[in-house]
Amino acid sequence: MIHARDIFTRSIKLTPTLLMALLVIPVVGGLIGVLLPAFGYIPALDKTTFTLRGFYSLFNTAGFANMLLLSAISSLVSTLLAFIITVLILACYFNSPWLYRIQRLLGPILVIPHAAAAIAISFLITPSGMISRLFSPWLSQWDSPPDWMFPHDSWGISMVLGLTLKELPFLLLMALGALAQADLGAKLRAQHKVALSLGYCPMTAFFKVVLPNLYPFLRLPILAVLAYASASVEIPLILGPNAPPTLAVAIMHWFNDVDLTLRIQASAGAIMQLLLTMGLLLSWWLLEKLTKKFSHGSLINGRREYAGQLIQRFTQVLTFILLSIIMLSLAGLILWSFAGYWRFPDALPSQFVLLHWQHALQQMQTPLLNTVVIGFVATLVAVILTLFTLEAEQLRTRNLSNFASLLIYLPMLIPSIAFLFGLVWLQEQVGSHHAYFNVIFGHLLFVLPYVFLSLASSYRRLDPRFSHLAASLGATPSKVFLRVKLPQLLAPILIAFALGLAVSFSQYLPTLLSGGGRINTITTEAVALAGGASRRVSAVYALMQMLLPAIAFFLAWFIPKLVFAKQTASPHKLQHPTLKQQSKA
Amino acid sequence: MTTSNYLLLQPKRIKHYALVFIAMLSFIFSSNSAAKNWQTVLDNGQNHSVYFHAWGGDPQINAYIQWLAQQVKQQYNIDLHHIKLTDTSEAVSRVLAEKSAGNHSEGKVDLIWINGANFAAMAKHGLLTPNWATKLPNFSLTNPTKNPAMSLDFGVPTQGMESPWGQAALTFYYDSVAITSPPKTLTQLLTWSTQHKGRFTYPKPPDFIGVSFLKYALISLTPASLQAKLYQPVTKQNSALLLPKLWQFLDTLHPNLWRAGQHFVSSSTALRRLMGDTELSLAMTFSAPEVPAAVTRFDLPTSIRSYAMSDGSLSNIHFVAIPYNAAHTDSAKLVANFMLSVNAQAKKQRPTTWGDNTVLDLSILAADQVTQFQLSNPHPSSLAPNHNSPALAEPHPSWVKVIEQQWLERYGAQ
Repeated sequence: MIHARDIFTRSIKLTPTLLMALLVIPVVGGLIGVLLPAFGYIPALDKTTFTLRGFYSLFNTAGFANMLLLSAISSLVSTLLAFIITVLILACYFNSPWLYRIQRLLGPILVIPHAAAAIAISFLITPSGMISRLFSPWLSQWDSPPDWMFPHDSWGISMVLGLTLKELPFLLLMALGALAQADLGAKLRAQHKVALSLGYCPMTAFFKVVLPNLYPFLRLPILAVLAYASASVEIPLILGPNAPPTLAVAIMHWFNDVDLTLRIQASAGAIMQLLLTMGLLLSWWLLEKLTKKFSHGSLINGRREYAGQLIQRFTQVLTFILLSIIMLSLAGLILWSFAGYWRFPDALPSQFVLLHWQHALQQMQTPLLNTVVIGFVATLVAVILTLFTLEAEQLRTRNLSNFASLLIYLPMLIPSIAFLFGLVWLQEQVGSHHAYFNVIFGHLLFVLPYVFLSLASSYRRLDPRFSHLAASLGATPSKVFLRVKLPQLLAPILIAFALGLAVSFSQYLPTLLSGGGRINTITTEAVALAGGASRRVSAVYALMQMLLPAIAFFLAWFIPKLVFAKQTASPHKLQHPTLKQQSKA
Repeated sequence: MTTSNYLLLQPKRIKHYALVFIAMLSFIFSSNSAAKNWQTVLDNGQNHSVYFHAWGGDPQINAYIQWLAQQVKQQYNIDLHHIKLTDTSEAVSRVLAEKSAGNHSEGKVDLIWINGANFAAMAKHGLLTPNWATKLPNFSLTNPTKNPAMSLDFGVPTQGMESPWGQAALTFYYDSVAITSPPKTLTQLLTWSTQHKGRFTYPKPPDFIGVSFLKYALISLTPASLQAKLYQPVTKQNSALLLPKLWQFLDTLHPNLWRAGQHFVSSSTALRRLMGDTELSLAMTFSAPEVPAAVTRFDLPTSIRSYAMSDGSLSNIHFVAIPYNAAHTDSAKLVANFMLSVNAQAKKQRPTTWGDNTVLDLSILAADQVTQFQLSNPHPSSLAPNHNSPALAEPHPSWVKVIEQQWLERYGAQ
């Protein structure tokens, strides 16, 4: 017994170090792999002296300031919008069954990979898209598509729309995840009720009582969303302007340019991207401090009612518009995937065909298998490492240091474009040629932080009295972990698992680069086809990308139901035969 | 005297005969050794995998590569894997990354579909295996002595680093519901664009089609007396002499383009999508057969018609190359040789398969082989085979860089 406990305890206590190493070494190594070329050091091109030429040519790039501005503003605005809408929805529907209905309606957006979501939105707002088809020609008098600037408008409005719609469900899910914890949710709901009984309008009660306690759980997700938005490639590529594009898109083009010396400029750009993202995270932090400082007074001023009714109405309209956008985008995708000829301005295709699905499904088998295997292995490893690390925290009876927590979120906070090219170089340095392994490893970097983020709060808020009680009854730490803690955490673990799968399914750059392009997943195929000529095939792949994580989330929702149903149903089942016997009698 | 003469001459004569003999011997030996070498390639190349890095944006081409894979599997037990690229430069970057990591023999790219600037860049940095393409048995079917173009990639000698695969010309297509008579020359295009604002655009450089359109415009705008300069490496003087005409033309054209020339699509495939959406009424492509194929797949309306510009069509050959560090060089050679076979080339030229023009010289093939290339009842949207459009050769690749750079400076960031 003592021996077994030792092995368990010892291996558990080693996990945090392993987890840190797994995250830090690739990221730091990858950054070095980009830092050297940024200063002009590329031995393969016989450039072995350190210069600042890359930075000079970067600053002299036409429209460089615009690129920075576009990246900064679009990410900040979209994150702010997503946060505000999240809070408004929570405030408006707190304690209402609608909250969970909205969550269920927004859920699909979370699981659609960015590329697919961007495609769906571009199908909607493009001049020949669903919106203009619905209003043409009876209202708009358009017989051929108008020549308007959406998507790709130079202000980045379409891009902000895409980013906001993608970020919103994530933030909402994270908030609801925190509220789903038995103690926190119950406490906040109780406090909210107390505030209501003290005469606070429901909206005000939410902002003054719930939000200040909820925000700490949202901080890291928000920062992650902000970092991601500032450096993402897929959405700006499909919805953003291209003259000039965002910095991240420009870097990707430079890295892929035939002129190999442009890699110096690209690497310098990657360093700039890093600084930009750090700057943005810092500004959010400052914004948060300022808000805290200036709202402190109003929290305790006792005022019961601001324009609650008005804000509530506004939120309802906003929610309706958002849901319509999402529904129309999805409807558009589905229509396109079955469309025969479909000339503007017809609202519906002139015929429906199965050709595109048949065609795609024939070619999809290997990518499908790859997607599932890679996602499952990476997520399983991530969940196990996360649970062990969190258990180690409790065995040591102290949380990870702030520094260590920050390290876990490194791959989320550091723009992937900044270190992925270096990571491929690193993998070659250590002679890792097994493409499948490299891809799973690459995915793990991105899956792990999300899994950790979604599990940590629930795990840390677990009522310690259960474990204390079990331990006092003689249960070993391993037994406490397996029999007491994990069953209580079934729902959050499954949500984390589904989230991990969704993250893995949506990875494009890591799959492409780590696998040397040899491993095709649904996402790499979809992105390759998204730039392609066929809206129809692209719609099939986008729907397929949606379907996979949707299944995962469905299981995450269904399995606890099944388990709890069994537990509550079992007494009835016991009664059942007797009842039957009685009725027979 | 005579004897001495005779004696004096004899060694010379012997030498002469010896030389002839050696020449004959070496001829026999060399053809013998070529056969022997090919036998070694056959022996070493079978039963391996070949990772073929090729642009994967066209389902028709992907399906043809799938067919190639089945064939080489049957013939040589080679597993041909198509690595679908969105841009060929991705593979270039990969080989470079491998070189910088010191991986000189176990490269992940065995075969790469390439031409133009990508080839020039790889050749310049020594990233390709030289002197193999001309030794492929099927290379002779291209009749290289009569068709020097088979060993030139955008004017740059290929030095056996690439084996030709197919050839293409810049073809235009239009929506016959939206417009009745499409522009047939560059000047007509300009006047047409003022009457049909927002119905034409070209992809942003460095996209291949975008750059090709700019090259077509540049050639058409350059007076015949100066055109020779386009086929030499670019100089500051020449670019200052020839390019202003192009920018002048674009300055007048751009306000009439889709999105008023403020936004350009980033890839040529997006053009086809916009044609399908009927946002555009006129577009262009380098693979003419993709147009009827897209119509049968519902991606383009049935009203689409193809044609060639009467003032010339930009034409070029595309190749396959083997990186210097490819892990399966011999297997890649077997695949490249199979790509040049009559069967593979004839199948590729069929519009229902891909419709890419063959690089083989039909005049040196047997009659039954030639019949494999003949067409039966073409699709209404496909390009008429006997169009009257002179082929315009690609300018020297060094022009591309200058055109791209100046284009980006002028129109890239507005």
